[in-house]
Amino acid sequence: MPRVPRKIVSLSIALAGFLIGIATISGPAMALSLNPDAGSAGIEKANTLHWILFVVIGIVIVVVNLAILRAARPRTRHTGTPAASKKGGQLKVGLGLGLVALAIFVTATVFSDQSRVVPTSTETVAGMTSDKRLEIEASGQQWLWRFDYPNGAFSYRRVVVPAGVTVALKLKSTDVIHTWNVPSLTGKADAVPGKTNWVYFRADDEGTHEGQSAILSGQGYSTMSIEVSVVSPERYETYVQAQSDEIQEAQNTVEGQNRAASETDEKVRKEAATNNTDTAKSSGDGQG
Amino acid sequence: MSSYPTTMPPTRPEISNRPDSDPRPRWAQIATSADHKSIASVLLVTAFGSLFLAALELLLLRIQLSVPENIFLNAVTFDRLLSVYGETAIFLFALPLCVGLLYYVVPLQIGSRGTALPRLGQIGMWLFLLGGIMLYAAFLFTPPEAGINPLPPLSELAFTPNNGVDVWISSTAMIVLGLLLISIDLLTTLRNMRAPGMAWRRAPIFTWAAAIVTWLMVVVAPIMLAALTMLMIDRRLGGAFFAGGSGGSPILWQHLSYIYFTAGYMTIAVTTLAAISEIVQSFTRRELPGRDAVIGSLVAIAVIGTLAWTQNMITAPLPSGWKYFAMLASISLIVPFGLIFYNLISTVASSDFHMRAPMRYAMGALSLASIGLAVEISQSTIAVGTQLQHTYDAWAATHFALIGFAIFGGLAAISYWYPKITGRMLNEERAKISFGVMFVGTLIALLPLFAAGVSGQVTDSYRFNAGEDVGIYNLIATFGTLILMVGIIMAVGNLIKSRTEGDVATPDPWRGNSLEWLTLSPPVEHNFDVLPDVRSTQPMRDIRDALARRDAEEGAPADEPQPVA
Repeated sequence: MPRVPRKIVSLSIALAGFLIGIATISGPAMALSLNPDAGSAGIEKANTLHWILFVVIGIVIVVVNLAILRAARPRTRHTGTPAASKKGGQLKVGLGLGLVALAIFVTATVFSDQSRVVPTSTETVAGMTSDKRLEIEASGQQWLWRFDYPNGAFSYRRVVVPAGVTVALKLKSTDVIHTWNVPSLTGKADAVPGKTNWVYFRADDEGTHEGQSAILSGQGYSTMSIEVSVVSPERYETYVQAQSDEIQEAQNTVEGQNRAASETDEKVRKEAATNNTDTAKSSGDGQG
Repeated sequence: MSSYPTTMPPTRPEISNRPDSDPRPRWAQIATSADHKSIASVLLVTAFGSLFLAALELLLLRIQLSVPENIFLNAVTFDRLLSVYGETAIFLFALPLCVGLLYYVVPLQIGSRGTALPRLGQIGMWLFLLGGIMLYAAFLFTPPEAGINPLPPLSELAFTPNNGVDVWISSTAMIVLGLLLISIDLLTTLRNMRAPGMAWRRAPIFTWAAAIVTWLMVVVAPIMLAALTMLMIDRRLGGAFFAGGSGGSPILWQHLSYIYFTAGYMTIAVTTLAAISEIVQSFTRRELPGRDAVIGSLVAIAVIGTLAWTQNMITAPLPSGWKYFAMLASISLIVPFGLIFYNLISTVASSDFHMRAPMRYAMGALSLASIGLAVEISQSTIAVGTQLQHTYDAWAATHFALIGFAIFGGLAAISYWYPKITGRMLNEERAKISFGVMFVGTLIALLPLFAAGVSGQVTDSYRFNAGEDVGIYNLIATFGTLILMVGIIMAVGNLIKSRTEGDVATPDPWRGNSLEWLTLSPPVEHNFDVLPDVRSTQPMRDIRDALARRDAEEGAPADEPQPVA
């Protein structure tokens, strides 16, 4: 029937060539695992699952589209009865698809447990809770992240965590919803005002993991970067201590300045008061 | 003594030569008409106008994201365009396209002379139009800027003090309410006004889709309207439903709004898959072998898909049971989607057919949607979903599915019913070229974004850094969006041009087997002069057979049906 089978064929070939071209360009990112530098066990699992799904999805897409191309190909006469009209065909295909769905669900469940199974620490640092976790509070605010360590130290944008220690990150928000997003270490989790969300991870190797907030939080959203530095437990303790000391020192300085300022204020006020009384008196005198 | 049923009209009595005697200008007729065909035409025209606007907005967003640290748009302008783009694409294009198609075709398919509550449909059309006008009027002061789904507390007064979000809430509420009213009219029509013998087991697949979609709207639209009202109370009347930290729950908004958004997605999928089923049945001259399985699958997609709304909230602080349920529900959608694809593709593969515009768009729709749906599998698993949500991988998957279903499926449906709606045939050559351009454009625009998303590029950010190594993907995607835009202009231009230049269509150009092909093209205002008696799933085939038998018995030549007053 079709007047231009040649055109359709050449279009399909062009399409295939184009797809291969795109695949070559995007290949490195698509074919490599999700996060080549996975920093925690949970992310390694996610990478494996992504690999499995990548293959499954690839097969599904290729098979379905080849079937569509074959079905839509130009031809001249009837080619028989549809495969779907066989007796019990619908049930068989339905059951088959159901099995595929079940298999994907089971696989996904097996690889999805990192949010529930909390890893155990292999090292210890000061300030851990009784169940051997290091609790750090991360609070999102427009437009940066603030990290509060157990000893009262805090930092902005960059958090330092010890290697080999299970970190329980307590996500909070003081204004709008922010999404904690460090792909190579923890994945995403929302910090919702009025609620607490927990992220558990244990990084075994030292290094730096970068991330960025992942939900629109206003004009400065694109500047909300996150940096997670994984250091040795000793360096972590030094860092937190130094940070805490520095904050204490700064506070002392500020308090000292405040005290000095308020003393000066008081002096000035007293003088002013005396002056005022004098003026009042004199004016009163004048009036009197 | 004839062999056909006595209630069957001997000729084609629906053909009426009554002149159009309404002296009023055309716009006044359209504005006051409560005819479902007139109302649906307004929805369809608005939808394709909005498709152009949405594509333009997407192109502007993509131009900003074509190179790292671009300064084409600033953060606020980007957020505003993004918010308006989302609303235009979903509420002004995809949903009214689906509802408009159903509202035009389904009363014809069930052999009804009109709808049961026509004024309700008219109110719906006006609410919908006013909602759209209100959204674009916001460009005169401040457009919404809180994102495609404006999540509280960002959309609370404290964080977006201008009127943008108020406009979003009001226009969305009017559109949701308008489409709900039209759905109620259609649902009532479906219950009460089917032709004699049109039992549910004989109803066409597209009619089943109408029943599914209208029920879905009746269930989910009030939820969305409640959420919008609560957000408005929060903003303007001192409420605290969603305000974080003051006793409100920001998560509650996510539940309520994502129920509607997910149902909207399923509405688009169900409507266009049903339309594609009708097209495949007409062009291959076969009934789908698994008709019951396909209808059951459409129901399953609507119900299970909507129940899986928490898959959008995989990163939220929810009990993990919610997330596992959403994962199970969305993965189990493989079965109904797979069954429909299996029936459609195997029917096409084993049949002889002419590759005309509806078929071409339909095959393109299946191809693009298959990519989107397959990648959505990985979005719905918890481990990979928490990695890929809010990245361009999720964005590309959703766009593949929705461009496949809404644009390609929508164009397939429109070009299939174009002769019925306008009385003209769509230009084949232009349809073919626009199909090719749009298809290639979609692939170039979206495939590289998978790579960008896997590399970790997050959505909704008005710029990305050079250090992220995603520049090349974004540049290709922008280029592809430009091609897609050109294709959309060609397709919409073809719809406009063929309206006046196309070949005049016969009442039944495709030899379809459902009742809308019995009436004239375009149909008279009361649809049918005489209602046929439906005896099977393919009433038009029965009528043709009866006519042929009569002609054979009476020895009369099989000619055009005679007009009957």
